[in-house]
Amino acid sequence: MSVGRKMVYHVNVNLLGRAVLRWHRLKAERRGGAPRGWKQEYLAPPLSISPRTKELISRHYLAGRYAHLGRKVAWVTSGAPVELLKALDYYVLYPENHAAVCGTVRACVEISGEAENAGYSRDLCSYARTDIGSALSGKTPVGKLPKPDLLLACTNICQTVLAWYRVLAQHFRVPLILIDTPFLFGEASEHVITYVRRQLEEAVPVAETVAGKRFVERRFEEVTQRSRMASQLWLEILERNHHQPAPLSVFDQFIQMAPIVEMRGDGFTVDFYAALLREVDQRIAQGVGAVTKEKRRLLWDNLPVWYRLRYLAEFLAERGVAVVASTYTNAWGELAPMMDVNRPWDSMVRTYLHPILNRGTGHKLATMIRMIEQYELDGAILHSDRSCKPYSIGQMDQRDHLVRECGRPALLLEADHNDPRSYAEEQVANRLDAFLEMLGV
Amino acid sequence: MRKAVGPIARRSEVIRQQRERGGWVAAVLPIHYPRALLRSFDLLPIEVWGPPGIDPDHGAAHVQAYVCSIVRNALSFILSGGLDVADVIMVPHTCDSLQGLGSLLLDLVRPRQPVVPFYLPRGERECDIQFLAEEFRAISRQLEEITGRSPSLLELIECVKRDEEADGLLGSLHHRRNELALNSYEFYRVLRAREYLPSEDFVELARSCLACAAEAPNVGVPLILSGIVPEPMSMLALIDELGARIVADDLACCGRRLYPNGVSEDPFVRMAERIVRSAPDPTRGSPLADRSEHLLRLAAGSEARAVVFHGVKFCEPELFDLPVLREELKRAGLPSVIIEVDLNDPLSHQVRTRLEALLEMIR
Repeated sequence: MSVGRKMVYHVNVNLLGRAVLRWHRLKAERRGGAPRGWKQEYLAPPLSISPRTKELISRHYLAGRYAHLGRKVAWVTSGAPVELLKALDYYVLYPENHAAVCGTVRACVEISGEAENAGYSRDLCSYARTDIGSALSGKTPVGKLPKPDLLLACTNICQTVLAWYRVLAQHFRVPLILIDTPFLFGEASEHVITYVRRQLEEAVPVAETVAGKRFVERRFEEVTQRSRMASQLWLEILERNHHQPAPLSVFDQFIQMAPIVEMRGDGFTVDFYAALLREVDQRIAQGVGAVTKEKRRLLWDNLPVWYRLRYLAEFLAERGVAVVASTYTNAWGELAPMMDVNRPWDSMVRTYLHPILNRGTGHKLATMIRMIEQYELDGAILHSDRSCKPYSIGQMDQRDHLVRECGRPALLLEADHNDPRSYAEEQVANRLDAFLEMLGV
Repeated sequence: MRKAVGPIARRSEVIRQQRERGGWVAAVLPIHYPRALLRSFDLLPIEVWGPPGIDPDHGAAHVQAYVCSIVRNALSFILSGGLDVADVIMVPHTCDSLQGLGSLLLDLVRPRQPVVPFYLPRGERECDIQFLAEEFRAISRQLEEITGRSPSLLELIECVKRDEEADGLLGSLHHRRNELALNSYEFYRVLRAREYLPSEDFVELARSCLACAAEAPNVGVPLILSGIVPEPMSMLALIDELGARIVADDLACCGRRLYPNGVSEDPFVRMAERIVRSAPDPTRGSPLADRSEHLLRLAAGSEARAVVFHGVKFCEPELFDLPVLREELKRAGLPSVIIEVDLNDPLSHQVRTRLEALLEMIR
């Protein structure tokens, strides 16, 4: 990188950008309290860490905007072994997270419309459509996305990501590294572990060539250590919800999980979750629950409905229902014990083979049952997500098992994580009402 | 010209014969699988592409409406006893939906037969071949437990070679389709007999067809058919009726399974090589550039003038590739059309209209 480019990057990202974002954060922190229309009688005030979350995410996208001045850019799937790339100082972008941001600000229909106009079917995953639409049109609510120099797709969450990244590879004409993680119908056998290990090793020289840097094992260990620490903290934060009333709703978790997904391996992510854990502990000490009058506690299965987070949070809180645990947010913490800094390669293979989405429907059911017991939950909402088949197939039987064998009411709620055109509010409200009646609220 | 094909044995008849001589039956879900390995255990593979036109209610009680009809129908068929004749159900990990089906059958909706899933690697690297070979070894151990049989490596390699011969003849049928006095419907009945006939019987059928081959006048607008499975088969008759003919295909059940011969002397590696090195396939993660090149090569070799993309609704692997493929074809002057079907629907007027429009454009 030339000195001039370095300067421009440094001034825009590290000096001006940071200062402006910090100022915004401080302003928000000073203002404090709840935003207009916040239903304080049912919901605890927003977490005081929220402005910092916003600052982190904004800083991440700001760094992306100027990344081409000094760093190579990799686009990766959410379950990708990002530690490899972080060790080579890539700027890492997560199209799934970006799509979720689009969903949250209700830009999905417009942006995915660009992909649909180009021939991408509405039956495809709405994250993929949003991201492809953004790549084709340049539309994004975060300013500007950097073009990738490298793509890394890991199949441990679905095969959709590979189909999607093949499209991106064709569009951007950049190398695509595939880390194929065989679906675990049962236990991971030796040849599965060997296969994934070999692919990780083969990925290094490709990533080195694109980065123009040598892979340094020590740096890799440091990044892995930070990933493990952040994941561990995240898991501890989630587990604080064993407490009643639960200090954090899953709707809070959906927002606060952004750094663990897209900033895993960074030091500031560890600091962020340490601070969030302190705030959660403070809430417990003060007897503050995320839902002020917690009467019933539920499990959420599958991705969030990004464009109706607040609506659902308020709808349930008004009725005294706290959704306190989720198989989705749990997925970013439950693998922390598998990360072993002393054996980073082996532990990386194990960690990235075992996400809940890479395991069978029986395993997910067992996880749900365990969570229901540990968090003392009264029932479950299973979001039947049109855009996520691997997460959704099996839910009909999982619901039946929860009802019949665990004696917990469970509701299958039809929606889509990003596309509001596959969501019918009245129907959702009716079904939720009927379900809550069963719960006696 | 003499008719190139006589009556083809029906599935039920082939299954009955297999049973009568003491053999076993394996129901196999799409797409790629180690056929020779099953045969070495005297398991006759009978492929289950849906099947179409059955009552989907049993499946609909377990999988959502946005799951494709191949998976929904297969589950219905299993739960309604349609596959009771099978001793084993094999579920290749072809896509997220078949992954879900395999997992459901193992964990939550258990059929009476043992379920044998396996993972299909998405790359074409050496490590993918080695991994797939190991998957096949694992299946072999599982089948030993299920059947109590232990075929030797020699028996297995013989089965592999028999498969290679059958697939070689399958390739000849594809390449010489214009010389066979068969309409599209009849031709695909012959090709799709590979889905259930033992290789040795298919060899006989293919030879008898090829023996009748003769130069024939090329009539009808030449088309390529791409997609998963040509259902309903009446669509093929419609294509003939509209004055077109299929000169090549990129179908998951047909053209994407023209497996080349393997090289390795290790039968497990050899079976893996054959699958990994076959024609580009989105379910195996083939790069889009390879797919478009393959289609353009097929078009050049067959003088096709358009491509019909015939997909099953909700099939993500197919849907993702269509915009890029259509764009590349368009650049090469080849128009294309998309037809989407649910296996339970009859041939619709919309399909006819779309095909007519395509053909009018070409003519």
